[in-house]
Amino acid sequence: MSKEMKAHNTNKRLHNVHLLKAGEYYLQGSQACIEGAIMAGCRVYGGYPITPASEIMEYASRRLPQVGGRFIQMEDEIASASLLIGASWGGAKALTATSSPGFSLMQEAISIAIMSETPMVIIDVQRPGPGQGYITASQEDVMQARWGHHGEGSIIALAPSSVQEMFDMTIEAFNLSEQWRTPVLVMAEEPVAHMRERLLIPPWNEIEIIERKKPQDLGIMPEDYLPWGHDIVAPMANWGEGYSVNFVGLVHLEDGNITKYSPQMHYDCIERLLRKIEGNVNEIARIETEFLEGCKNLVICYGCVARTALEAVIEARQEGGLDVGYVRLTTLWPFPHEKLRDIVGNVNTIFVPEMNLGMMKHPITEALRDRSEKIVSIPSLGVLHSPEYILSKIYEEIR
Amino acid sequence: MSRINRYEIRIAGFGGQGVVTIGKILGEAFTLYEGKNSVNTQSYGPESRGGACKSEVVVSDGEIRYPNVRKADVLIALSQVALDAYMADLKEGGILLLDPHSIKHMPDRHRYQVYEVPTMEIAYDVGGVRFQNSVALGALYPLIADIINESSLLRAISENVPAETVEINIEAFKRGMSHVKRDEGT
Amino acid sequence: MKKHPMLKYLKEEGPLGQRMPLIMCPGCGAGQVLNYTLHAVERVMNEDKIGKENFLFISGVGCSARLTSHYLNFDSAWTIHGRTLAIATGSLLANPAFKIIVFTGDGDTGSIGGNHFIHACRRNIDVTIVCINNGVYGMTGGQVAPTTPVGAITTTTPYGNIEEAFDLCKLAETAGASFVARWTTAHPHQVIKSITKGLRKKGTAFIEILSQCPVHSKSSPVAMLRELKENTIQISKKKESGEGKTLIGEFCDLDKPEWNESYQKLIDQFDHEEGKS
Repeated sequence: MSKEMKAHNTNKRLHNVHLLKAGEYYLQGSQACIEGAIMAGCRVYGGYPITPASEIMEYASRRLPQVGGRFIQMEDEIASASLLIGASWGGAKALTATSSPGFSLMQEAISIAIMSETPMVIIDVQRPGPGQGYITASQEDVMQARWGHHGEGSIIALAPSSVQEMFDMTIEAFNLSEQWRTPVLVMAEEPVAHMRERLLIPPWNEIEIIERKKPQDLGIMPEDYLPWGHDIVAPMANWGEGYSVNFVGLVHLEDGNITKYSPQMHYDCIERLLRKIEGNVNEIARIETEFLEGCKNLVICYGCVARTALEAVIEARQEGGLDVGYVRLTTLWPFPHEKLRDIVGNVNTIFVPEMNLGMMKHPITEALRDRSEKIVSIPSLGVLHSPEYILSKIYEEIR
Repeated sequence: MSRINRYEIRIAGFGGQGVVTIGKILGEAFTLYEGKNSVNTQSYGPESRGGACKSEVVVSDGEIRYPNVRKADVLIALSQVALDAYMADLKEGGILLLDPHSIKHMPDRHRYQVYEVPTMEIAYDVGGVRFQNSVALGALYPLIADIINESSLLRAISENVPAETVEINIEAFKRGMSHVKRDEGT
Repeated sequence: MKKHPMLKYLKEEGPLGQRMPLIMCPGCGAGQVLNYTLHAVERVMNEDKIGKENFLFISGVGCSARLTSHYLNFDSAWTIHGRTLAIATGSLLANPAFKIIVFTGDGDTGSIGGNHFIHACRRNIDVTIVCINNGVYGMTGGQVAPTTPVGAITTTTPYGNIEEAFDLCKLAETAGASFVARWTTAHPHQVIKSITKGLRKKGTAFIEILSQCPVHSKSSPVAMLRELKENTIQISKKKESGEGKTLIGEFCDLDKPEWNESYQKLIDQFDHEEGKS
């Protein structure tokens, strides 16, 4: 697969004088993700204002026309997510950013994007809920990311922890969405969207960019083309390329036929969608670890909480004399059950600090129930955990 | 310049006093012009003017994990509310820079190094309240001169204010600076 | 037997089997609208020399939407209820050259799609909206629609509808569409002419076509077509006799800035250097 990707890569990469030159910058996460998006080739943005994600949209409105792209403020989040589908099938890489209430509104569009295998990227700067909730830090959408869309099928969700990762992971999100023909979510939080840090931008032509596989590149003629066939990830002909592609959102045969319904056809169509992502979890999902060798206790974390958690783990080891290891999920979904089991041995207690009342704790428990006597949530609502808080919970349990 | 493990600066006041800008300028100066790592965060109430507003800069020569202030080395308090809210998080012997115009209840001068600088008054004198943040930065500079060069701060200021006001902002900076003599706090 | 001239624009078969017949109920007006639309598209393709690959048909959900489900020998999309115009906007942002036809119904446009409808018209995006208005929610079993007349008995107004109906054309015009027209399935030539004009109009063209649903009105298609002719009156003839009749005709035909045209000016402000890697 990667050979085809590279060949198409050089055809599609277009440099623009308004892309940031290689070097050091001091930017907000909100700005870094847009710089990453346009570096990855995103040229369509459609969004709706919502705290704390509006800065992303405002920055996009300035940068998109500069690089020859198009920006539009839509009438609501439903329209924004729908716009991404039209843009993607029209041949563009498209992005929107929202917060939790808007994310709820986008679920129907995400659902049909999964069904139709549409590459697109949505950034969710999570905020507490339910309802209007509040406008500060939260990780309360991490389950909605996986299960919020109606129906079966899976999705990819990444969790950045820094301004640099807002840049890098947005590029990664676009690459994954093109490679696997799926919507990809960047699950950010208010602290990482609003903080400013150093951003290192590499030279443009050193950044790996992946483009969707196309039937033209594989020598597949329109009359033989199966929009959802040929491979586990089907090559994607866009509208306007002479392939007369009929986009459908209903269960279908590989050529898009919707009339030949049977329970077997239904199963085959949907099972492949799930397997496309979940079956490739080892290639898609990434985990970071520290101090795992022989550790007796473990902290598993993600997003900006990982920064606090690492601080707490280092302190627990250096000043508390505790043998605590650290695992960071940079990919939330598909959930890397196997990878986790491969790297985590038997431990006494697993701590899961989250800015929710215990959500990723569930798949973690599913994966590691037999590796640990106790799996303990460390929740914090509306505010980022402090190292003191995580430490106090760790000491409470294991001292 | 001294090597910093972790140095924490907090600025607080009302919206409209330049609290956020001060943090951004400090962060840029430390990172882009001094080559250190810094994280600049801010939080504010929904009102953009008059609401409580806080900005933080955590600086280190090494990696910064936890991005917020744990125990501040410096507190710049531009309002009574800010002082009351954040004084307890300031280290003993920490630097407390405050504007006496807004502060009626003074802090314990034995606990902290207290510097009173009439930032608002000086700003008005220089040309308007919008130069208050440069005055505050100028006042801060002598107190952190062992970890940052004046030129870095001045460069960061000029990159963050409208081109036609760069000169006045530098003037405001120098006026703030002249109000402070290191080790004369409290 | 000679084949229907428009059949070449439909896919009778795909690589994995038959796609015909169309799912439409016998006597449904949607099939007529498809026929008229394809005539208009053919006219524009041939006379204006625009390639087939530039045309894009988008629909949402409902009887009208089934026209694009998998029959068209063009790029098409059968999407989600009411969101077609947002999807169309996305395609135009990706490629302003698309010639987009949106098949929609009175519910898809006037109810769930209402917000997107008025904003698309306000923005005057370059799309031709073909709205098949049968005054009812046909696909889901005959519930009341925002265009159902007062007093009508439907499955959700068993005692008679108490709500007023939208005038979708007035909505489109007020919201800012450049070209607005209303005809019926009993006016084939006028429909083809208006859709052709709409395709050529740079901006939002809204063509409402009053259509018969013989299944839910329990009437015969022929009787309904006759009714459509008799209960409507062209704008030019309104003065002579028009009481109680629905106005049909071309309501507005303006030249206004289209969204992409205006946005292009923003892009052109900046020098771009697009080149090979």
